[in-house]
Amino acid sequence: MNAFILGNPEKCIGCKACEIACSVAHLDISVVKANEMNIPFISRLNLVRTSAATMPVQCRQCEDAPCANVCSVGAIVHKDNCNIVLEEKCIGCKECMLACPFGMLEMQPKSAQGEMEFQAGLKVESINGEQQKAYVVMQKCDLCTGRAEGPACIEVCPANAFVIVNSEFIRRNLNQKRISSAQEIAKCRYIRNS
Amino acid sequence: MADKNQGNIKIDIELCTGCRRCAEVCPVDAIEGNDGSSQSINIDKCVMCGQCIQICSAYASVFEEYPTSREKKLLERNLPETLTEPLFAAYSIGDLPKVKEALANSAKFTMVQCAPAVRVSIAEEFGMPLGSLVPGKLAAALRQLGFNKIYDTNFAADLTIMEEGSELVQRITEGGTLPMFTSCCPAWVKFVEREYPELIPHLSSCKSPQQMAGTMFKTYGAEKDSIEPENIFSIAIMPCTCKKFEAERPEMNTSGYQDVDAVLTVRELAYLIKEVGIDFNSLLESSFDKPLSMYSGAGHLFCATGGVMEAAIRTAYEMITEEPISDVNIQYVRGGQGIRRGVVKAGDLKVKTVVVSGLKNVVPILEEIKQGDADFHFMEVMTCPVGCVSGGGQPKMLLPKDNDISFKNRISSTYRHYEDQIYRKSHENPEIKAIYQKFLGEPLGQKSHHLLHTEYTPRREGK
Amino acid sequence: MGIQLNSFVLADPKKCIGCKVCEVACAVAHRSEELKTVGNMDVPIMPRLYLVRIADVTMPIQCRHCEDAPCANICPVSAITQIDNKIIINEEKCIGCKSCMIACPFGAIELAAAYKEGRPILQNLLTLNSEDEFIHKQSAVASKCDLCIDRSNGPACIEACPRQALSYENVKMEKKRRNAEIVSKTGATIKNFMV
Repeated sequence: MNAFILGNPEKCIGCKACEIACSVAHLDISVVKANEMNIPFISRLNLVRTSAATMPVQCRQCEDAPCANVCSVGAIVHKDNCNIVLEEKCIGCKECMLACPFGMLEMQPKSAQGEMEFQAGLKVESINGEQQKAYVVMQKCDLCTGRAEGPACIEVCPANAFVIVNSEFIRRNLNQKRISSAQEIAKCRYIRNS
Repeated sequence: MADKNQGNIKIDIELCTGCRRCAEVCPVDAIEGNDGSSQSINIDKCVMCGQCIQICSAYASVFEEYPTSREKKLLERNLPETLTEPLFAAYSIGDLPKVKEALANSAKFTMVQCAPAVRVSIAEEFGMPLGSLVPGKLAAALRQLGFNKIYDTNFAADLTIMEEGSELVQRITEGGTLPMFTSCCPAWVKFVEREYPELIPHLSSCKSPQQMAGTMFKTYGAEKDSIEPENIFSIAIMPCTCKKFEAERPEMNTSGYQDVDAVLTVRELAYLIKEVGIDFNSLLESSFDKPLSMYSGAGHLFCATGGVMEAAIRTAYEMITEEPISDVNIQYVRGGQGIRRGVVKAGDLKVKTVVVSGLKNVVPILEEIKQGDADFHFMEVMTCPVGCVSGGGQPKMLLPKDNDISFKNRISSTYRHYEDQIYRKSHENPEIKAIYQKFLGEPLGQKSHHLLHTEYTPRREGK
Repeated sequence: MGIQLNSFVLADPKKCIGCKVCEVACAVAHRSEELKTVGNMDVPIMPRLYLVRIADVTMPIQCRHCEDAPCANICPVSAITQIDNKIIINEEKCIGCKSCMIACPFGAIELAAAYKEGRPILQNLLTLNSEDEFIHKQSAVASKCDLCIDRSNGPACIEACPRQALSYENVKMEKKRRNAEIVSKTGATIKNFMV
């Protein structure tokens, strides 16, 4: 069963520390260097405020992921209980963005060592003349796979507003709910008349 | 081996939920434990009939984790690792590894026998209607699996009738211990040995058809094919889990070799057929191998309650009167679970018979015998609800409520197949006549007594 | 008259012995072909009701078909709807995001590997990340009690229970019955205190 990270709107204070932690965690250079190079923050989760709630949202790692099942180049694959993006395969067609019912996906410029990776063929023409275009690829929550401390957003949150929903969590959660339901029914004298 | 008696029926404590439905069907109260807790089997009491396996619905859920993995459970149960069916708490230890090894060993000459109840049930494991009659497909499947000789327990059932019928006539006319009990159900035999050891002399000394067939494989069959008996591996396909216990009884080696080397239940044979990739449903019908396969309709009736009695009456009647019986169909012995009493007039003799189906039902009758109140001559006992067609090694219904319809259909197929046979009486089977002429001599003769009869072991002091 | 409420199946913990026949019957009832023997059960048993066994209670738990179903209200793809007074998951629409499993307060929804006629249903394009071959991932969808909507005899669990521990709860009828009962009792004894 895939795992995913779920924010708790009851606890979230809307500080956006998670967004910053996410972008830092996905840098392949130091924060200092990134700052010197003036690289923008690119977070894979978004803090969303509505009149009903404030909470961060990120990829739910659906079992039958619509994003992957619409991708015509096979750039979204399943690995270690997570759906990951193979950036080198992505062609930026944006069908996945439309397919995701949660709006969790984002297109971002592709970079390595803080440098944008430019396309060989496609150029942008404008009044300023012809310019190189950076690759733009889909990026989404990868559960910080490979990061020893686990997901950066969970680690940084000052309000403890995240849970990681994996098979152990779900098993425990379902069992607890079933047990308390059974206990309530057994306790109620009138639920059964026959 | 039997003395070790670890029992081959087990309850997986990780899966058992303690509903105790098995205890309700256990004929010997061998299942012990509190409601809601894992149960255990008292192996001294257990007769290995496998009815607990048939009723158990405590399966291993994919939504739960157990300390022991499915792979390990399959290994513990001797089941193929490719098996996809769900596992239940009550199970029997299988013997497939032994059989696969023998099939793969070119130095071994494999001889397989099939009990009568197998041909009316095995097709169920391949999605065919309950009780489908498939002797031809069964033979074809065994041939494709590579068994060297495909023989039939039904032949040995006819042989059993020759010996047991003669024994009954001898006991009646010469004043032996009466009433005589049938001895083809190993669970019943073990029950007498443990619970009523003082009644052991009542048991017919005849081996069961499985063991008689095994003996003939390694003597007559070995001679026919010029095979050294020690190179023969003898396999029995049975509807029964207790037949495994019977095959391992140490005294079952009167030919000098163990009569039966391995027993597979119907379910195990189906696993093997699936594992090898045989498409059972589209098999072209084949036939069993001569000579140890020809059978009368009487021999085939062994798989239903009353069947041994019916077959024995036909032969005993003609042995006593030396006249053909007026109606071969003896309706009063047929039926379902319970007790059926009746009388057959054979000349001046009135032979009183009792048929018991379901081991629990026999207890009042045994008490009657102990009190000296029994006035009958011959009793057939089958442990399972309606005889071997309802055995513990038969295909297990997903829902126990389907048991009744499966029993009914298997019995009706049994009688249909019986109607199809040329010979209706065991003693008219030409191959039976031949085996006595060429090899055994006469029923109860020296050779047949040595090879086809056995002794019993009291399993506790008489009461 | 008012609205018609959704009925549901409820177990009686006083009768349940924990045999799990209901779970097996549930799995069998949700196969498209009729299966009789265990040997024909070629996929794992994935029931839609779940036996709970704790110290003093044994009973299966299943969907209550809530009038304001949280599972349906959280579903991002509207895969859960009410049909014929039953809350039903459309397995074709479900994307396996598991939101409903978290939302249900009874634990009545499981994630079940998808099979059709004994074979895994594979996803169109989602593959396992592997260097040398494309292995399509098996579909997994939310699964819960549908009150055997396609079965003419009604819920299979009720029929299979050897202790009659499961019953179909029609709460409105039960309410009327209890109303009538209390009126009868009051009517019979009222003269004693309304002097």
